[in-house]
Amino acid sequence: MKMEPIVYGDRKVFTVAAFNQGVAQWLQRLPTIWVEGEVTELRRQAGWQTVFFTLKDPETGACLSAAMPRGQFDALRLDLANGERVHVYGRPELWPQKGELRLRALSIERFGLGEHLAALERLKAKLAAEGLFAESRKRPLPRLPRRIGLVTGNDAAAKRDVLTAIQTRFPPAQVVVAETLVQGRRAAAAMVEALAAVAAERDVDVIVLARGGGGFEDLLPFSEERLVRAVAACPVPVVTAVGHEQDTPLCDLAADRRASTPTAAGRLVVPDLDELLAGLARSRDALARGARRVLERHAQRLAREHERLRRAPALLVERRRAALAQAAGRLRALSPRATLDRGYAIVRREGELVRSAGAVTTGEPIAVEVADGSFGARVE
Amino acid sequence: MTYEEAERELAGIVERLERGDAGLDEALKLWERGEELYRFCAAQLETAEGKIEELARRGADAADAR
Repeated sequence: MKMEPIVYGDRKVFTVAAFNQGVAQWLQRLPTIWVEGEVTELRRQAGWQTVFFTLKDPETGACLSAAMPRGQFDALRLDLANGERVHVYGRPELWPQKGELRLRALSIERFGLGEHLAALERLKAKLAAEGLFAESRKRPLPRLPRRIGLVTGNDAAAKRDVLTAIQTRFPPAQVVVAETLVQGRRAAAAMVEALAAVAAERDVDVIVLARGGGGFEDLLPFSEERLVRAVAACPVPVVTAVGHEQDTPLCDLAADRRASTPTAAGRLVVPDLDELLAGLARSRDALARGARRVLERHAQRLAREHERLRRAPALLVERRRAALAQAAGRLRALSPRATLDRGYAIVRREGELVRSAGAVTTGEPIAVEVADGSFGARVE
Repeated sequence: MTYEEAERELAGIVERLERGDAGLDEALKLWERGEELYRFCAAQLETAEGKIEELARRGADAADAR
């Protein structure tokens, strides 16, 4: 086919066929690649040489026509149905007759459970390597949150279970609920948004992300990278209760606490009011007891001091008396009285002590003092 | 002051008083403070009324409309 333009004066004009052909040739330079999408509008008819289908981006709804020779398609034995996720290996081409872009499929692979699991494992390993699941990142839950955020699906059970558990345990609880999609392709984005909306509410100190169980596929949104990151980055602690024991959704690993059921999550985020009141009452009793003890201790100390003070004068007299007795004893030991007791006598003449025989003359009166008294005498 | 802060301070005061070695003036001040904290905590538990608030489903509605 000719691609040369027809020339009208200074204008070059291409035929439609030439234009399409030219674009098609350009497209052929693009590489062969894998495209992921959901199969819709699958048309396979015995009389047709080609199988047509549309690949749809489940998240945005963007569509891409695809085609594959029927023989090749049948040889894959995929038994594809509308709505299945596939990976298509192919290259873009232009269908010249219609000027429509489509994907020329060379191979198709079903993106099934196994692939999902493998992708999950890769994501898990990647996020783990970033430290998103590290124990050190986990924050303690507040003992008494001012307000509690609850992000849940509009399935009544999970929401009711969380609220009932919270209100039974702690009737004055303040809860902010954000209902959102928890299932399907848009769920992760919706939950990320709901999480942010609840976290932005004033005084919200903890958030519960709950879903009442579900099959593996139903829980896939809870493993999506954006949600896992949003849980990890949430400004307040997050408790997840996605309710699935075997396959832990990745958001559980990123959460600060993981609860096995919505009810368990509700019990985790609030304290037991009765226990709290009892504890408070105990504290108050202990407070009064403690104050009384300090008071009593001071009173006892005061009483002891007073007693010592009261006894001080008597003690002083006693001490003086003892000192006096001791002094008297010593005095006595030193006095001539002790000597007189042993039989000695003191002789005085006119009141003067007689110390020598020459001091007296015959006939002179003298006084003699012995231990128990004195008498007069004359010198012979 | 959050409930937790009040509760923690109260526990500290109780412990201090239970040791019994506080001065008299100090003990009285601690006791007064403890009573104040007790009243604060009790008020938080007893006066608050439980409340459930629903946020509008902004994200989901926008997505549904698409």
